[in-house]
Amino acid sequence: MIRLENVSKVYGRDTVAVRDASFEIAKGEFVFLVGPSGSGKSTLLRLMNRQERPERGDVWVAGRELNTLPDAKVPYLRRNIGNVFQDYKLLPTRTVFENVAFALEVIGQPKHVIRQQVPAILELVGLEGKEDRFPDQLSGGEQQRVSIARAFVNRPLILLGDEPTGNLDPATGEGIMRLLDRINATGTTVVMATHDQRVVNMMRRRVIQLDRGVIVRDQTRGVYE
Amino acid sequence: MWSRLAYAFREMWASFQRNVTLTAAAVVTSAVSLLLVGSTFLIQRGFENLLARWKGDVQMIVFVRAGAPPEQVGFIEETLRGQSAVIDTSQLRYLDQAESYAEAQRVFAGDPTTLSLLRPELIPSQFKVVPLTEQAALVRSLAQDFRSLPGVEAVALAEDEFEIIAKLSGFIRTVTITMSLVLLLVAVGLIWNTIRTAMFARRREIEVMKLVGATNWFIRVPFMLEGLLQGLIGGALACGGLWGLNQAWSSGVAGFKPGTGISALVVPDGYLYGVMGLLLGVGMIAGAIGSAIAASRFLDV
Repeated sequence: MIRLENVSKVYGRDTVAVRDASFEIAKGEFVFLVGPSGSGKSTLLRLMNRQERPERGDVWVAGRELNTLPDAKVPYLRRNIGNVFQDYKLLPTRTVFENVAFALEVIGQPKHVIRQQVPAILELVGLEGKEDRFPDQLSGGEQQRVSIARAFVNRPLILLGDEPTGNLDPATGEGIMRLLDRINATGTTVVMATHDQRVVNMMRRRVIQLDRGVIVRDQTRGVYE
Repeated sequence: MWSRLAYAFREMWASFQRNVTLTAAAVVTSAVSLLLVGSTFLIQRGFENLLARWKGDVQMIVFVRAGAPPEQVGFIEETLRGQSAVIDTSQLRYLDQAESYAEAQRVFAGDPTTLSLLRPELIPSQFKVVPLTEQAALVRSLAQDFRSLPGVEAVALAEDEFEIIAKLSGFIRTVTITMSLVLLLVAVGLIWNTIRTAMFARRREIEVMKLVGATNWFIRVPFMLEGLLQGLIGGALACGGLWGLNQAWSSGVAGFKPGTGISALVVPDGYLYGVMGLLLGVGMIAGAIGSAIAASRFLDV
């Protein structure tokens, strides 16, 4: 599903974010990218949804090589990738329903599809009955659930999470992890960057550890260390 | 398809309402510049009507009496062609009564009394003369000679009538076209700035749109429609202004004594509507260009 071959990414002249990274993630896997701040976790995620291009190496996602993917095709790639962020990136002037519907609306889904899919996904993430609330009327955990609902509403092949539990207390973070686990169980590949030791140790899934842009460990059923 | 269109118009309208002050500034500037563009066209058309008789370096017109027999017309032409030392005979043109009537319709466009009296069969036909010499005195004495020819009703000289106006027309055209172009550029700039501000205010939304797979065109179209609408409203205001100006001018000119030539400065409605259509078109294009440039930025997420 995702394959990186000798990928390097440099910001500016000499800030190396990722150095010679190679790994493969199979369909349906759940993978943690771990490491301290600035180790290159977020850069790897940005390379996977073509927000960044590598200086060297190839990035394959869902059967496409992203370096040679024309700009006009990037939106169609991204429809196969859901994104969840630490700061949720919800639109404050839209309700819960509208925030989730937005993801379907901008890819041109008709109204009847939106009316059918949004309530179903809100139920899946445990937000039924809160459709008409605005983001500032929700707790942090609820906001992250809206963000996950938006990322998953069009059933993407891959879900990328950049520190999705970073702003949440441990109990709420656990709830979010259980939700991501359920999404993974539907066959969606989940890649999550985190330095939340507790959730990594709780889940016991594959761990790719980075240190200053270099992959120093790739372990199935790993812990944080 | 419909849902995308509905989305584009809904977003355009929401954004339009969000930036009222900036939008108003852009609309007013485009209206003023377009009004100036329109006025330039009308002023030029007025001068063209006034100078229609003197187009193509014509300096002298020999009017032939209505009903003059063909021999007399032939004799006048022969006499004119005989003056090849002072007259450019290759440019000598004869306008028969039908052609002279059509020309008179433009010259007297703003003078309904004269227009109603015009009859194709009563109108003099005419020879348009382009002299070779620059010497006014020579042209004048030539005109004096032609006046005595049989069948000639009158001889008119450009020098007497419209030379100053022709020069004035050229000057006014240069000034108004320059000013309107500068203002049009300012309007495009203001529309660009309005759209840029609107996009900056919504950068988070645009980032989310890009991440969930919206195409650049999907994001761009509502902003382009917004710019287009600003240009269209500016154009519509300019049309209203131009129509009002033309009405005021036409009724003002109607008060002038017939035969002063000022009546020719009136622009008939057909032409005015053409210019109004042009202003709407230019307004929309300017708006769309300004917003398209602005929308091309901010899309690199």
